[in-house]
Amino acid sequence: MENNAFRDRNFADDEHEEIPESFVCCVCLDLLYKPIVLSCGHICCFWCVYNSMNCLRESQCPVCRHQYYHFPTVCQLLHFLLLKIYTVAYKRREDQTLEEEKKSGFYSPQFDPDTCESQAKFGHSGIPSSSSVTNLTSNSCNVGTSECTEQSGSTTHERDEGIVYSNGEADIAGTPAQTQEEISLQQKLSVADVTCTMCKQMLFRPVVLNCGHVYCQTCVVNNTDDDTLRCRVCQSPHPRRFPKVCLELDHFLEEQLPEEYRQRRDAIELKQIKVKLETTPSCSLDKGNKGENKDWWSDPDSKVHIGVGCDFCGMFPIIGDRYRCADCTEKMGFDLCGDCYATRSKLPGRFNQQHTSEHKFKLEQSNIMHNIMLRLATAQLGDTSIDLESVGNLEIASDGPTLFDDAVDNHSDSEATN
Amino acid sequence: MKISGGGGRSSWSSSTSSWVPTTSVSASGKRIQREMVELNNDPPPDCSAGPKGDNLYHWIATIIGTPGTPYQGGIFFLDIKFPSDYPFKPPQVVFKTRIYHCNVDPDGLVSMGILKDDWSPALTIAKVLLAVRSIFTNPDHYNTVVPGIAHLYSGDRAKHDGIAAEWTVRFAK
Repeated sequence: MENNAFRDRNFADDEHEEIPESFVCCVCLDLLYKPIVLSCGHICCFWCVYNSMNCLRESQCPVCRHQYYHFPTVCQLLHFLLLKIYTVAYKRREDQTLEEEKKSGFYSPQFDPDTCESQAKFGHSGIPSSSSVTNLTSNSCNVGTSECTEQSGSTTHERDEGIVYSNGEADIAGTPAQTQEEISLQQKLSVADVTCTMCKQMLFRPVVLNCGHVYCQTCVVNNTDDDTLRCRVCQSPHPRRFPKVCLELDHFLEEQLPEEYRQRRDAIELKQIKVKLETTPSCSLDKGNKGENKDWWSDPDSKVHIGVGCDFCGMFPIIGDRYRCADCTEKMGFDLCGDCYATRSKLPGRFNQQHTSEHKFKLEQSNIMHNIMLRLATAQLGDTSIDLESVGNLEIASDGPTLFDDAVDNHSDSEATN
Repeated sequence: MKISGGGGRSSWSSSTSSWVPTTSVSASGKRIQREMVELNNDPPPDCSAGPKGDNLYHWIATIIGTPGTPYQGGIFFLDIKFPSDYPFKPPQVVFKTRIYHCNVDPDGLVSMGILKDDWSPALTIAKVLLAVRSIFTNPDHYNTVVPGIAHLYSGDRAKHDGIAAEWTVRFAK
């Protein structure tokens, strides 16, 4: 496993586990913990993304300065993958993070592999038709707590076991730490850990949506039938442009499972022409050019809730109406933006709040004084923000497929589409 | 421990906010420690840096003047101070050695885009030092703090270089 590209970046306590550079968070310079994939394809830890977000305006990716407005959900596929292959280092990160969370009183979402497995049996019916998906979501709303995302992540997992196995290593996530050294990374990793939510085959050029679900690039493209790009599993809309391929994960798969990767590539290349034809209509994403820049500071009627994020779609800061849960007792609180409140789709909170559907919401007013002050303050910054904006667009135009240029943030329309 | 700051967060909004900064001192300390290890293993060319004393948040660095520039042959000392919510806020970089440069104010404070609004938490001290080194060859014209020097640089480059070289000999050798 001693590859040149692999460098030991760790302290003494887990020196036998070498973390490849691609799984080192660019912010904390440690192994990724509860990884979030931004829509530009770069990966950071949950808290690293959270702490680097901007409470006043659009946030930027720490690596490429790609702008985003929505705090994405943790990518559970990557979470369990890292837990499985770098168990010791990942546990160490878990302990560290938990300690810090206890100090601060704010918690990241908890994923319990046990609930995952029990939930997985629930949806054991092959490829989810849209009706079964709605069943799943409505059921989990009643349950209220954190199962909603988990079941969707793990259904695929469970379903694939026994179908595709590269080397028969079913599930060694529970292997004690001391034996980890003897098992090489290839043996630990199986195709079942890295399957597409849609096609159930090994991921090829993976993209991660805002909800944290992972698809092959071609699978997402194939299935955008309405304007908004929606996750097929949890039905949550993906804001703004089509996400870019998560290259770190793609390269990792190419390196670790070269045989399977090659097969997938060949299979997809065969279909490529057909796929291209089918996808052309999906650039209807850019019609209805509503302008995705939420320049709230230039709009005198806009209501912005500084430092408050929506716990469903992740919009941060919330612009427009804000509903605060009156019953959640966590320090972090539970808030929804107007659109998410209207759709009544309630995922668990992003900070492990124990929110349930019985909780009552209260409409919160944004602080007018804040808004006036901020508008004054940001007016001076106006020039720089325009600069950044144009730079961001240029960057996207130059390296992204032109197909998706000017893709619209349909999120604010979701009220209408629902 | 909870510290206000992080990203563009304003501390006065925290009373009403649900999403508040959660950077802890230990997290920033760990990150600085990692950078230190990295710098020792793989130092950037012509640069060195390390903690000044026991305080992890206060470093001292040296940069050797790039050959081919008027700063050639000079050894420049810098003070680096990390904020407690590093890396979500940029470090402060101050020249301890006097230098004739349009991006360095009379107190030695370096003015560069990446040390202000263009800061990104993915930047490290190694990258900051390389950026400081690069303004020896190409000043950051968007962030000049000494207009006189900037004018001279664009108007009479030879004279500017002459003064800069003289200062290097006087203060940096």
